[in-house]
Amino acid sequence: MIGIVLALVAVVGAATSIEAHEIGTTHVTVRLHGGAAPGGGRVTEGGRYDIDVETDAAALLDKLETLADRPGPAPTAADFSERLAAFETLFRDRVAVAFDGAEARPDVRFAVTPPRDDVSPWTARIRLTGAIPSGASRLTWTYGWTFASYALSIAREGEDTAANEWLEGGQASTPFALATPAPRVSRAGIAWQYCVLGFTHILPKGVDHVLFVLGLFLLGSRWRSILWQVSAFTLAHSITLGLSMYGLIGAPPSVVEPLIAISIAYVAIENLVLTELKPWRVVLVFAFGLLHGMGFAGVLTELGLPRGEFVTALVTFNAGVEAGQLTVIALAFALVGWLRGDTSYRRWVVVPASFAIACMAVYWTIERLQF
Amino acid sequence: MSASAPSAATRSRTVRLVVVLGVLAAAARLGAHDFWIEPTTYVPEAGRIIGVRARVGDGFLGDPVPRDSALLDQLIVEDAAGRRPLVGHDGDDPAGLLRINAPGLHVVGYLGKPSRVELAAEKFNAYLAQEGLDQVAAARAARNQSGTGARELFTRCAKTLILAGVAAAEQRDRALGCRFEIVAERNPYTMAPGQALPLRLTYDGRPLAGALVVAMNRKRPADRISARSDAKGRVQLTLPSGGGWLVKAVHMVPAPADANADWASFWASITFDLPAPPATTVEGRS
Repeated sequence: MIGIVLALVAVVGAATSIEAHEIGTTHVTVRLHGGAAPGGGRVTEGGRYDIDVETDAAALLDKLETLADRPGPAPTAADFSERLAAFETLFRDRVAVAFDGAEARPDVRFAVTPPRDDVSPWTARIRLTGAIPSGASRLTWTYGWTFASYALSIAREGEDTAANEWLEGGQASTPFALATPAPRVSRAGIAWQYCVLGFTHILPKGVDHVLFVLGLFLLGSRWRSILWQVSAFTLAHSITLGLSMYGLIGAPPSVVEPLIAISIAYVAIENLVLTELKPWRVVLVFAFGLLHGMGFAGVLTELGLPRGEFVTALVTFNAGVEAGQLTVIALAFALVGWLRGDTSYRRWVVVPASFAIACMAVYWTIERLQF
Repeated sequence: MSASAPSAATRSRTVRLVVVLGVLAAAARLGAHDFWIEPTTYVPEAGRIIGVRARVGDGFLGDPVPRDSALLDQLIVEDAAGRRPLVGHDGDDPAGLLRINAPGLHVVGYLGKPSRVELAAEKFNAYLAQEGLDQVAAARAARNQSGTGARELFTRCAKTLILAGVAAAEQRDRALGCRFEIVAERNPYTMAPGQALPLRLTYDGRPLAGALVVAMNRKRPADRISARSDAKGRVQLTLPSGGGWLVKAVHMVPAPADANADWASFWASITFDLPAPPATTVEGRS
């Protein structure tokens, strides 16, 4: 018996090859259940595997009986699975389920399916089951009972996609990672990604926010008025964005979005009425900033925030929004800033631009209220 | 030119077991497998439909190969009525179905398309030794290539002889048109164990001399009987027992210049059932 085992070990060891052969009818399906730590790369306790080997039953019994030198008569429906099961020990010698290189000892059950007609073969289904060792990270499969190439399919529970591989008999599979690997994105990468998302949410995607910022820019010819308003707006939307993302406050978009449109209309219309910054304007802009912050929060919720880098993503998204707004002001200044000291500035720039913004905002208000 | 292995009866069970295991271990090292046809029965009644199963493996132990148009050129039968293709669908095992229309000898052939394989030096050298391809090994040694791997195009030609009804001497195997082919020159269904079966090997229609021909029995695949073909491509193998037999040979030539390969190999096999005397008939799968 020791001789047999040694010889079999030699067979299994020597049969590892990479050359292509004819493809047979054997299929192996590995399923992994539970115990996977999300993103952890390792498996916690409670995970299980089950492996189905589907293969030609007569061909397998033939090999087992020849190797054991126990040739028998033609199998029948009544004794087929029992006769296969009688060779369980021998069968195990050429099958290996290994976790991180350590071989596991699965439970093995043999079953056979009768052929659909008298020229088709019997199919054996051998199910190997067991517990995934705690802390295991990789599974390797080896099957030495076929001379043909066969397909191996490995899938984690709840995942649609399976890993597939063509293997030769006796060839070890590529080690399969048991848990979903954590995406390797650095903090700097996340910061840049969310900063860009924040910026593009203003330019070019946030036309309403752009018009609001332009509305702030248009009032008054002095830098001080712009500075005050933008500061109040920034402070306010940062507060509500943060609070909303932490789930402390919340308002449905059906309320927030029309209010944002009204705030744009208000600023534009006030630009038409007033010529200088009044204290209440700053207060109102602050209040509007609170609204816009909740709007940003809606967008950020849709994008999703990485669990591990929540604060990084939140702060950098806000910074991106800020950069977008400052860019709008810089572009506006480059376009019409040289006219600000001119007496015709209000007549030819502020009034028509504010009028256009007001019209757009009123239209949006009506549109958004219809939801 | 014939030779036979010592009778299995003279060996102890242990010795035979070691031989079986040795053959399997060697086969696994080779990475080059035999290819043959195993019908669901060799001796059907007229009117029956039988399955023609293609098998890949070693030592008559094998696995089914479903029909695959990427590998299969022709799956045909020749009987008294002539030649016809066997029906079958891609992916099916058996690769083809054969309806036995009339009694007589049916010569079934699986004519494969060339397939590509790349083997490491050690495996390729072991396989050359196993298949008796000494000239190829010598050519590689002369070119200092023995330490390098080889790119190979291999082509299968598997035949089986199926008998419906009563055997007769005039029922003959025949060449089906493989580039490398084994043809039985006597109807094995008219033979008894212990008699010599004459076979002829042809490559590109001409006799092939010096090829190693190996025969093995379904029940004792480790007891190999082998001989080399003579100048006329002939070989005689004395088959000691009844039951299913596989006779096979491999021929190898330098690959054509445009094939992007080093060697082209041709794998010929023929299977049949040698009638056992009634007294020694053992129930078993064939």
